[in-house]
Amino acid sequence: MNTSSTVEKTVRTQLKRMLEAGCSFADVRFYDEDRTERLVLYDGNLEVNYQRWEKGIGVRVLKNGAIGFAATADLNAIPECFDRALANAEAAAQLLGFPKDMGSAEPVSGKYQPRFQQDPFAVPLPEKLNLLKRVDEKLRDNTVEHRMVSAHFQKRRIFYYNSEGTEIERWVMNTFAGMTVMARDRDGKAQRRSYELDSDGTGSRGFEWLANPQAFEVHTERIKRELSEIVAAEALPPGRRDVILLPGQGHLQVHETIGHPLELDRILGYELSFAGGSHVKPEMIGTLRYGSEKLNAKVMVVENSPGTFGYDDEGTPQHEYYLIKNGILVNVLCCRLDLAEANAKAGRVVVSQSGASARAAGFYKTPIDRMTNVCIEWGSDGTLEDIIRATENGVILDMPVSWSIGSNREHFHFGCEIAWEVRDGRITRVFKNPTYQGHTLEFYNSLDMVGDRSTWRLFQVANCGKGEPNQIMEVGHGVPVMRFKNVLTGEGR
Amino acid sequence: MLEPRIRNLLLEARDYARKQGLNAEFSFHRERSSLIRLGNSAIALSTAEELSRLDVSVQEGRRVGSWTLTADISSFDQLKEALNRAAENCRNSLAKDYEPIFGVVEEPVDDTAGFDPALETLSPVTKSELCARVIRHLKPRGSYDFSGSWSTGSTEMYYLTTANDHEAYRKLTDGRLVLVLKDQVQKWELAVEKTQKRAGEFSAEEIIAEFETLLPIYEQNPGYKTEIGNQRVLFGPQAIAQLVSLCVWGGFFGRAYEEGRAFTSRNRFGDKIFSEMVTLTDDPSNPDVFGMPFDFNGKRRRPFLLVKNGIFTNVTYDSQTAAKYGKQPTGHDLNNWDLVFGTGTGPADLKSAMALAGNALYIPHLHYVHLPDPTRGIFTGSSRFNALLIRDGRPVAPLFSSRITDSIPNVFNNVVAVAARSVAQNESSTYERRTPEAQSVPAWLLCDQVRISDVADSF
Repeated sequence: MNTSSTVEKTVRTQLKRMLEAGCSFADVRFYDEDRTERLVLYDGNLEVNYQRWEKGIGVRVLKNGAIGFAATADLNAIPECFDRALANAEAAAQLLGFPKDMGSAEPVSGKYQPRFQQDPFAVPLPEKLNLLKRVDEKLRDNTVEHRMVSAHFQKRRIFYYNSEGTEIERWVMNTFAGMTVMARDRDGKAQRRSYELDSDGTGSRGFEWLANPQAFEVHTERIKRELSEIVAAEALPPGRRDVILLPGQGHLQVHETIGHPLELDRILGYELSFAGGSHVKPEMIGTLRYGSEKLNAKVMVVENSPGTFGYDDEGTPQHEYYLIKNGILVNVLCCRLDLAEANAKAGRVVVSQSGASARAAGFYKTPIDRMTNVCIEWGSDGTLEDIIRATENGVILDMPVSWSIGSNREHFHFGCEIAWEVRDGRITRVFKNPTYQGHTLEFYNSLDMVGDRSTWRLFQVANCGKGEPNQIMEVGHGVPVMRFKNVLTGEGR
Repeated sequence: MLEPRIRNLLLEARDYARKQGLNAEFSFHRERSSLIRLGNSAIALSTAEELSRLDVSVQEGRRVGSWTLTADISSFDQLKEALNRAAENCRNSLAKDYEPIFGVVEEPVDDTAGFDPALETLSPVTKSELCARVIRHLKPRGSYDFSGSWSTGSTEMYYLTTANDHEAYRKLTDGRLVLVLKDQVQKWELAVEKTQKRAGEFSAEEIIAEFETLLPIYEQNPGYKTEIGNQRVLFGPQAIAQLVSLCVWGGFFGRAYEEGRAFTSRNRFGDKIFSEMVTLTDDPSNPDVFGMPFDFNGKRRRPFLLVKNGIFTNVTYDSQTAAKYGKQPTGHDLNNWDLVFGTGTGPADLKSAMALAGNALYIPHLHYVHLPDPTRGIFTGSSRFNALLIRDGRPVAPLFSSRITDSIPNVFNNVVAVAARSVAQNESSTYERRTPEAQSVPAWLLCDQVRISDVADSF
């Protein structure tokens, strides 16, 4: 492995020492290089010009059924870091519940590098700024009061070692970007219309994606036009109507009401004091009707997604599996650590293998159950136009403005940027200030149309927050156009 | 003062920047963090992190560039490289259409008053023992399970610039414990939360007593599903802090105010915007808060009045917004605030507050609050821990999860009474780096005409 031989040698020695000290498992993530760059142009001014560089190790040990974690940026203090992790495990074992168990796994030796042509960190800053400036100029318009263009790049090299002999080297490479235009409507309310860099799941994750005019710049004229329509529009009148979610809104709906409630640590109650629990219980896996037969949610391995990373932070290779099949909950997002507890609590085997969901946001964070690529399979109900033609009274909604979900993810309230009214099979006008709310299972049971492949887009979420200590993680969601019947929309007051 | 080894390296880097003719700012952050996370009445995770971060920023005319390093600060060469990277970043950046304000440490600060070595090194064993006492005492009473977390640690912040020789340093400790008791059959959840500045500020017995105050109501009564519509609500500390945060975010940021995106944008200073019972201040001198003494533009932080007895008094300007709009920075180039909601004349204790409320909903926690419409201050969020139905001045039933969707101006204009006693509410963020933050809020706030927009069938 092409890493610092000193670190590698020390880590191997320490892993052996942890086994000798009575640990049943230990692992280490060494971030040799973790780079982040953020650029934000606001009204043409470069308001954020930020570059970050990190290096260090995170150690996890399992002893007497308890997990201890420690991290340090001081690579001369690796043995001491192992000692702290060991002491933490021993302290945690004093108040033990269901003993943690990693199960068994064959050693893996692997390497993963996402596909990219142009490393964003090798592109000179002026070239990146020229691109953003060009987009910013295209957004400039008399109808636009404020405009924002942003880009966010990530590059990491992570070495993973565990006491079972697994050794993995992997690279992370992500490109995120967005553009937003803003203006006030006649009520004085600030309105906005935005576009986030998305894909059809194929392609690569380098700078060339952002630089492709058809992927990013092409959206400037559309969002300006749509903003002017929002500004001139009436507010969405409250009432029940069908809701057609475009992927720009559908991905957040899936993230919040399928992704988070299906994280096994939430299901088992390990997030109650912070992010909350889940309405799903272990015994429901395999039987719970989560939605209509149209609903197929799947963990996918999508080439061009920040949720694709080869191996998770326990060394498990990524693989595809259904979470919800024809509306029935069949699996959850999980790592190795909690499988035994889930099965014991369910009284039967409900989760048979790790979902490769163990992810940590940095060397100084411990791996937890995270979303990867939680996607909705495309359906057979045609194009967006087909779905509109089949709708008597509805609204098409796109892009989140606000989101709020009950602590067990059972009820939600979302605000969106724009609504297009649909009457008798055609779009009639634009509404501003659209909101909708519902209850998770009831809502997904009202799913009655799922668009075809042409409607499916992969959205990137760069800032999913979860865990204590809190972590920000990157995930991906591939989602088609979806129609839900008879949803409560708009605000009464 | 900062450990001499690192301080000397940073001073050397500043001198080097001066010799190079660079306008440079150095901001050092070091944390020692320790956390236990509970789940299923056991310690699910125990962590310890020791991290050092350095932010270097260089300004040249209208151009600014930065470089951040998370690694052990061990040599001058390392700092020189960080400075050179920031300088290169600056040279290659775009010029702004306004003159950025360069950081100047207004006056030297060396603040370690909030540091307690015993809290910095509070062992996971000590934490486990306290939690175990609570669990052992209460768990046998029902089908109860406990979860939660207890984070403690120290934070050091050190800031200096090439503009002058002053240094600003701060070291403090903080802790936050949240214990959640969940009935596994009924699914309701109770929480007790503690904020600490020093070790030993609370005991297992206190936590047990707090749980026992609420437990009988939850144990003996089924959940209550309230109606959608306007209701009287008695807010508790966490909910009040959430409302204050939303209020500041949606109404008192200079950038949003200037651009017409704040719900205060159509107001002028001196307008009455809230009930006269509402006074909001950013006050680092308040004993409940963690008291950030300087901001990261070198500004000395002092009490800053936002709303006085309902009168709109001021908005905050970070240096970037101030530069763009020709204002003076107000000491708000920071992540951690010291917000204070002034106390009132209502009774101090919750029992008397409930008696005063008569028929109301008690909502001490708001979960996942958001602002769908900042221009009108419309927020939404759902009730969570410890929520109760109050009838004839007494708590009578636990409340099913209920959503509030209303506007900040409406809620803060319909204040009926405010507690005379303040409490510290920990609002620390651990998203990136340890940033201790607490608000001083009244123990309760009684409001009329609060809009309940949705009610679930369960907790």
